[in-house]
Amino acid sequence: MSITVQNITKRFGTFTALEGVSLDIPSGRLVALLGPSGSGKTTLLRIIAGLEVADTGVVRFDGEDFSTRTARERRVGFVFQHYALFRHMTVFENIAFGLRVRPRGTRPSGRRIRVRVTELLELIGLQNQAGRYPSQLSGGQRQRVALARALAVEPSVLLLDEPFGALDAKVRLELRRWLRQLHDEVGVTSVFVTHDQDEALEVADQVAVMNCGRVEQVGSPEEVYHRPATSFVYNFLGNVNLFHGRVDDGTAYIGAEATGHLVFVRPHALEVARRPVSANFFRATTKHINAAGPVVKVEAVTEWGAPVRVEMAPERFRELALRAGEEIFVTPRDPAIFTNNERAG
Amino acid sequence: MVGAIPAPRAPAVGESAEVRYALIAATVVFLGTFLLAPLALIFTVAFGQGVAAYFASFRDPDSLAAIRLTLLAAALAVPANLVFGVCAAWAIGKFEFAGKTLLMALIDLPFSVSPVVAGLIYVLLFGAQGALGPWLTAHNVHIIFAVPGIVLATIFVTFPFIARELLPLMAAQGNDEEEAALTLGASGWQTFLRVTLPNVKWALLYGVILCNARAMGEFGAVSVVSGHIRGLTNTMPLQIEVLYNDYQFVPAFAVASLLTLLALATLIIKSLVEWRVGAGRAHAARVS
Repeated sequence: MSITVQNITKRFGTFTALEGVSLDIPSGRLVALLGPSGSGKTTLLRIIAGLEVADTGVVRFDGEDFSTRTARERRVGFVFQHYALFRHMTVFENIAFGLRVRPRGTRPSGRRIRVRVTELLELIGLQNQAGRYPSQLSGGQRQRVALARALAVEPSVLLLDEPFGALDAKVRLELRRWLRQLHDEVGVTSVFVTHDQDEALEVADQVAVMNCGRVEQVGSPEEVYHRPATSFVYNFLGNVNLFHGRVDDGTAYIGAEATGHLVFVRPHALEVARRPVSANFFRATTKHINAAGPVVKVEAVTEWGAPVRVEMAPERFRELALRAGEEIFVTPRDPAIFTNNERAG
Repeated sequence: MVGAIPAPRAPAVGESAEVRYALIAATVVFLGTFLLAPLALIFTVAFGQGVAAYFASFRDPDSLAAIRLTLLAAALAVPANLVFGVCAAWAIGKFEFAGKTLLMALIDLPFSVSPVVAGLIYVLLFGAQGALGPWLTAHNVHIIFAVPGIVLATIFVTFPFIARELLPLMAAQGNDEEEAALTLGASGWQTFLRVTLPNVKWALLYGVILCNARAMGEFGAVSVVSGHIRGLTNTMPLQIEVLYNDYQFVPAFAVASLLTLLALATLIIKSLVEWRVGAGRAHAARVS
């Protein structure tokens, strides 16, 4: 089922959570709402679910206006950030809940419920935990039970609020691959909220980057990463160095006093040499070197006193034999230039 | 310093043995003087003229009527406050609305107002000279110096107990589980019965026990509205006073012993439920 939101605005007192947000979520896709906290992404998800009512705007499911329907009528599967499992029910009863509360006419028989719940327990790999209570499960297991519970009612769409936010790094990585796999198997239109750009870029078909209650850009992970529409998107997706500069005749000049334009360069796009290799360089002094991990991270200070982050391959680092406190020559490659948040070049 | 053995040290916050024993002794003496001795005295006097005299006290029709009235008042006040307490705790714990703080302060009012004042309020409202008095008299409705007044006064003094017990728990549990139930297709009523209520059942029982104990033991407010009509509007605490003032010590203390037994039973159930509520809260903490 496709979801369309049009011109949604939502205020809480004087705080504007959403300001004229429109978004198309095609049927069967896995879409990430990505943004920092306070960007309105969870509010948007809750409005889609019917847990929150928008001040203005329309929510459509398959083109039909669902704005005035209750959460109950929308038949969405919602996975809460802290799972919201029913603490007094076993895993089995948690998953069966949505089937047991159906009106008498459409409620499956006890045997059918058992079959369905067993299927879902197998899907999430927790067949042996059916009789346990939520408090006896690990965070990752709870998350999977929450997913199975939402899927039990065969929802028209699946909405997940920070699904991996409360898990430790390793479980998170494992579970997000599992979610992607599950989505490919089940095929239900899914939207998940996250503040973690790696998670959004890895899992989603489509990423909507949000900031201050607006959608900054919508696109495939590749598009938003390589062709960011605004300086915010560029800044939010991955590490950057920000330089102030000005642009004359297609050439960007950066430095302490230059103003008017924002010039972003990713840390791995800064080339470091012991002596100038071209006319296009600035001087910097190395301050701190972190050589642990697959890339070497060098923190330095430019000749005009601004901090700058450089990343390089370990081979290059060994070749240069860099130490802290040495002078280096830095050549920026592939800069992204913005004026007032809009891309300029 | 090599090989030096550090001297044994008391735990950082430990007191010396003398101080500890002194503190324990003081507590025991205090409890003994003010709690255990009077308790023992009640039973000593009640059984002072033998077991037969003790049980004969309960054959007095006025005392029996008092016991029945107390049970009736509690049987009406507790369910009324159960419904009210759940509604109030749900509204305050789970929703945001204007005047929420005021409502919370109002719920606590019976705790801060003297029970005698509470009784007087009803007299001023429903009494013969009260605001609604003439109308009630005209329609032959008797509230003051009658059973309805006693029930009203009991409801008033006991109404914070259940709401107060549920409020913090409901607020701490938040709305997540209810919202989850709604998205899974449950109706409001199903959500309440299957999710909200089971999550607070121990706290609810605890509140009911406290509410019941107070309803049966209330003296001040009931005393003002009762009129002390023997066999008609005397509850157990009032009957005890009447008997005592008549120098009928054995019957007075026999009825008192019933209230005492009720208190002891309440204490035991309360400890059991507290233990369960504690387990439930720890459980809740682990889940969230």
